Amino acid sequence: MAAKLTSPGWYRALLYTVVGIAFTLGMSAGLRAIFNLDPVYSWQSWVTIALLMTPLFFLAGIGCFDYWWRWARGRKVVDDHADHGAHSWRDYFKVNTDHKVIGIQYICVSFFFMFVGGLMAMLVRAELAQPGRQFVDANTYNGLFSIHATLLIFLFVIPVFAGIANYVLPLMIGAPDMAFPRLNALSFWMLPLAGIMMLLSFLAPGGSFAAGWTAYAPLSVHQPMGATFFTVAVQFAGASSIATALNFLVTIITMRAPGMTFFRMPLLVWANFSTSLLVVIATPFIAASQFMVLLDRALGFNFFNPAGGGDVLMYQHVFWFYSHPAVYIMMLPGFGIISEVLATRARKPIFGYRMMAFSLLAIVVLGFTVWAHHMFVSGMQNWIRIPMMITTAIIAIPTGIKIFSWVATLWRGVLKMDTPMLWAVGFITMFTLGGISGVMLAMVPLDIHVSDTYFIVAHIHYVLFGGSMFTIFAGIYFWFPKMTGRMYNERLGKLHFWLTFVFFNLTFAPMHLIGVQGMPRRVYDYAQEFATWNLIISLSSFVLGLSSLIFLYNMIASWRGGTRAVANPWRSLTIEWQVSSPPPIFNFDAIPSVVGGPYEYGVPGAVHAVFKGAEVPSPVPAGAETSPTPATEH
Amino acid sequence: MGEDTRRGPVTGRMWVTLIAIGLVASAIGIALGLSLRWFPAQGSTIAHKIDTFWDVLIIVSVPIFVGVVTMVLFSIWRWRQRPGEELLDGPPIHGNTKLEVVWTTIPTIIIAGLCAYATVLLLDIQNAPAKGTRVINVTGQQFAWTFSTVENGKKIQTNELYVPVGEPINFKVRSLDVIHDFWVPEWRLKVDAVPGITTGYALTPSKVGNYQVVCAELCGLGHAFMRANVHVLPAAKYAAWVQKVTTPVGAAAVGAASNGSASVDTIGKQLFVAGNPSTGTLACGTCHTMKAAGTSSATGPNLDKFVAQDPASAIREMIVNPNKEIATGFAKGVMPVNIGKTLNKQQIDALTAYIYKSVHRR
Amino acid sequence: MEAAAIPAAVAHDDHHHGPPIANRSSKVEPEVLGILLFIISELMLFGAFFAAYFFIRVVAKTDWPPHGALPVEVAATNAVILLSSSLTMHWTDVSAKRGNTYAMRVGIVTTFLLGSTFLFIQINEYLSLGFNPTTNASASIFFGLTGLHGAHVVIGLLLLFMSAVRIFKGKVGPDHHKGLEVPGIYWHFVDAMWIIVFTTIYVL
Ligand code: HEA
Ligand code: HEA
Ligand code: HEC
Ligand code: CUA
Ligand SMILES: [Cu+2]
Repeated sequence: MAAKLTSPGWYRALLYTVVGIAFTLGMSAGLRAIFNLDPVYSWQSWVTIALLMTPLFFLAGIGCFDYWWRWARGRKVVDDHADHGAHSWRDYFKVNTDHKVIGIQYICVSFFFMFVGGLMAMLVRAELAQPGRQFVDANTYNGLFSIHATLLIFLFVIPVFAGIANYVLPLMIGAPDMAFPRLNALSFWMLPLAGIMMLLSFLAPGGSFAAGWTAYAPLSVHQPMGATFFTVAVQFAGASSIATALNFLVTIITMRAPGMTFFRMPLLVWANFSTSLLVVIATPFIAASQFMVLLDRALGFNFFNPAGGGDVLMYQHVFWFYSHPAVYIMMLPGFGIISEVLATRARKPIFGYRMMAFSLLAIVVLGFTVWAHHMFVSGMQNWIRIPMMITTAIIAIPTGIKIFSWVATLWRGVLKMDTPMLWAVGFITMFTLGGISGVMLAMVPLDIHVSDTYFIVAHIHYVLFGGSMFTIFAGIYFWFPKMTGRMYNERLGKLHFWLTFVFFNLTFAPMHLIGVQGMPRRVYDYAQEFATWNLIISLSSFVLGLSSLIFLYNMIASWRGGTRAVANPWRSLTIEWQVSSPPPIFNFDAIPSVVGGPYEYGVPGAVHAVFKGAEVPSPVPAGAETSPTPATEH
Repeated sequence: MGEDTRRGPVTGRMWVTLIAIGLVASAIGIALGLSLRWFPAQGSTIAHKIDTFWDVLIIVSVPIFVGVVTMVLFSIWRWRQRPGEELLDGPPIHGNTKLEVVWTTIPTIIIAGLCAYATVLLLDIQNAPAKGTRVINVTGQQFAWTFSTVENGKKIQTNELYVPVGEPINFKVRSLDVIHDFWVPEWRLKVDAVPGITTGYALTPSKVGNYQVVCAELCGLGHAFMRANVHVLPAAKYAAWVQKVTTPVGAAAVGAASNGSASVDTIGKQLFVAGNPSTGTLACGTCHTMKAAGTSSATGPNLDKFVAQDPASAIREMIVNPNKEIATGFAKGVMPVNIGKTLNKQQIDALTAYIYKSVHRR
Repeated sequence: MEAAAIPAAVAHDDHHHGPPIANRSSKVEPEVLGILLFIISELMLFGAFFAAYFFIRVVAKTDWPPHGALPVEVAATNAVILLSSSLTMHWTDVSAKRGNTYAMRVGIVTTFLLGSTFLFIQINEYLSLGFNPTTNASASIFFGLTGLHGAHVVIGLLLLFMSAVRIFKGKVGPDHHKGLEVPGIYWHFVDAMWIIVFTTIYVL
């Protein structure tokens, strides 16, 4: 037992967490005693300190810092790779430095939070099925949609993309792992902590955090305790994504295989490169905005207190300077996934590869110049509106280039309409719709009317569900064989797509209409005239929710008992498919050499990478019959 | 070889069909988009401009969306992989500069056009109001609106908004606590009420009728109920209203009701159904059902039931200190906590007595 | 559930016990690039607080300085102290690369002490300012920015302390000085940041 409590793992984590709670209690009381504050035992101050610090104790306990701690003391540190690779399912619950294990950890944890956040959306829709109060009160309702959005944004879309990229990106560029494997593990472990913190806010006295995911000051400053949970959780989620982004950037810049020039990188790598730039530059802004809220809340600072000379609109400027780029953080990796899926399933090179890469960079740059389009009605100076409208609308141009290039990639291809491909083309159409409603919102005179209505809710879900979510499904189905070594069930995958596609539209399309007609967002009661549409929306959303259970079943059942996947079931050229499914523990026996572009489909004899030295698994390994579509249904 | 022609280049005739399908689908889409009743009534002089702009946006957007969908569906229909083609690859087309220039230029032109239109329209609607325009001060607070203006040299303060039709009005919007948003959907304009600064806009109501101010910025638990009635009156009626509220004996003004001439009962009822606009006390009836007062909202507890057993002193305590005890099933923080401060002692006494009497009558 | 990352098709047994050495596709050292990117991120964090400063002082026109005059001389002295610590840090770095153990030890200790002096003076200044963060928004941003910088000094000192431990244990030398170089870069950043904070808050 003593050994268990001193070596990294759950026992020690638990012990340290308890120590952390006691320590922060002492610290809070001690500090208050020193500063002569009454009462000495203030649970509010204790909870604030505990939220900030106990996670560090947990992380230390589970073993995120052991290596660095040895190193800092000048002890001998060896990489014995004991914590590398997973040999049983238990290894997924330990600190592991293998990017493939971390990738899976990321994906599973973020899907867990997707289901929790989705379930909250179901409760929101149940409440909204009829006007009047059904079964939750105002506090719970506001908490439900706030945490729904926070979980889906900070604990699902952003990290699941990081997870997918964690798994495939090092393989794609021919690297044995990420540049900083231990930092990678730390980034992962901060994530569940942030998520649990957000959920725990439901238990906070005074109710959960309820100021919307945007948490505008001064409302969030005056909220009960629950808001502190959000404020702190965002810091951990943010720190996690900064660390991952930094890791991706260093990995991409310094660890590409020989021959892998920037313009031979698959577009997924480009997409994550761009996204990581956004994360590194923008995320500190949300950290700052929440720090300021925390200081106002906990220590009586005056950042957002107009009576003390504070500036209320400053919160929004700082917040959106992150959160607008954040919407591209939630979309660009998806663009990368779509490029991979389309090229492989259409059997054609990506049309206009260079422009695809440049338009990603253009979106990164432009993304920093448009934040105030969320503030057209905020009461900021009027003159800011027109420049922001123009920069915002300009983003449609690089995005349009991407959409059109994808369509051109489909043109004359040999389109295999299987599950990943269905999601990909579904994405192209739905995202175009969401993007167009975005351009409408950019038009100030219209936005003045529809801002803060269900039209915005419609836009959000067309870009985040029809956009990000569709790409995530495409990616998960596409790399499922690589990650698990099993094939998913094609028929269930298609059923999942069609149900989702139809009921997604039935759920969110009518929101455009009721929004323009005048239904504000973030209300749990509404005028009688919107009753019919809301009922239709709610009913459709339940089917939409249930359709995700098909996905869940398919994933679990196929992982456990699906047919074995060959190394390269899609006959793809990129490197991750040239190794076994799942890949060996260190990815390669020898680093591959890149000799051509990643998407040279249709070019006779084209190869993207060759393995020198070691035995090369041929694209379609011997043993698998030459049929490129192995039996997937049974 | 049917197979080959299918994979071959798209023939001229096919292009014609494809474009025709796109055009027809766009036409149907536009027709559908324009025929829906999107907006509420056009209640201000700028409303029709926004609505026209929306129509233009529909006309521009539908073809873009239809275009993308048509090309995608056509590709799938024509080039999807059929049995026997499992090992086939598409032609290695890497790009086409001319095409890329085209699809960069066209959106640029569309965007430029839309931005120009929007700019002109925006400058038009945010034009500075003419001098001497009627000014109405709008103040938001959790969860009520107060409107004040000066007529005939007298200050009028109300919880409902009264405006004459056809006259430009300059709204000056403020907030006492958190951010709210002043929006009348029929007028098409909204702006946040931000603590610490004054925001606002000017417009001219063009249609007589009753509308609602909708608070459009999340401001706390009562956000969904932060509504106020808007009465757009013909000039004559407006003048009559002004006349009524500026005459001291008028019972409509609650401030006047408390000057001693009215009975305790009337003051209590007044406060219950109308609040005290001059200090920003919300009307109890906005949230509470009470038969005697004829109110029927379910935001707060039904007072006929919840306080039927309580002595007057307890009721008084609940009004002054609403968060001390929370009625089961309701949330803390909805019921305004400022009632004890915004009403004077007599008013609170009158209100308490009135509620006590009303709920014990049965 | 199957263990996912176990090799399935490729035989993988005797001949390797570690990952293949990654190809180095750039001249920049990963650690150096990492810390530079981290510094970019830190710069943006400061940037957000500078934005707050701008909004409070320029847009909301809150009184500046928060209360009477700010002790510019004290802060200027502090700037000199931090700048000289940057010099000693550089000296430590150079000595490490040259293999001069003695100079390295003196250097790191001096740097650490200079940094601590800065912090000490800063805390003393806080106590004698005559206003606190709750006074008004200008005071909040004054404490916000200087406090944020102070927190970075603390982190910097922690890193210096680790480097010192490693130096005294003989872990740093001409061949392995990453563990000193990287904290050093961070320390230079913390110093440079003070110049910017000092200029905006005390001088402008
Ligand atoms: C994945 C996330 C994502 C993405 C990618 C986008 C993309 C865009 N968004 Fe959106 N947005 C959100 C998520 C996202 N948004 C969220 C969550 C909110 C609400 C936040 C909140 O308040 O809670 C929001 C709110 C929001 C607003 C504020 C509305 C308001 O609150 O009043 C605006 C206003 O300009 C806007 C605009 C845009 C634009 C112009 C794009 C563009 O990038 C879209 C570009 C794409 C296309 C245009 C389609 C493809 C292009 C072509 C086919 C070319 C031809 C097209 C034309 C010529 C038009 N968005
Ligand atoms: C990636 C982001 C994302 C995703 C995927 C979703 C998914 C969904 N969202 Fe959400 N949403 C946001 C991001 C997202 N949303 C944001 C940013 C806001 C703004 C918040 C704010 O204003 O602050 C918002 C706000 C928002 C509102 C507006 C609330 C309001 O303003 O009052 C509504 C209302 O209908 C809504 C509904 C839904 C629904 C029905 C889904 C569905 O697609 C969910 C479907 C998925 C599941 C349901 C999975 C779980 C399923 C099960 C566990 C099976 C059980 C099923 C049943 C019991 C039927 N969302
Ligand atoms: C914005 C909505 C709102 C307004 C306006 C409002 N209340 Fe309430 N009231 C509530 C809610 C919600 C509760 C239940 C929570 C609580 O007990 O605080 C409540 C509780 C009460 C209770 C206690 C009931 C019980 O059984 O505990 C009394 C009495 C009461 N209100 C009287 C009033 C009076 C008198 C006014 C007007 C001066 C008023 N309220 C205005 C929302 C409101
Ligand atoms: Cu006031 Cu919402
Ligand atoms: Cu945006």
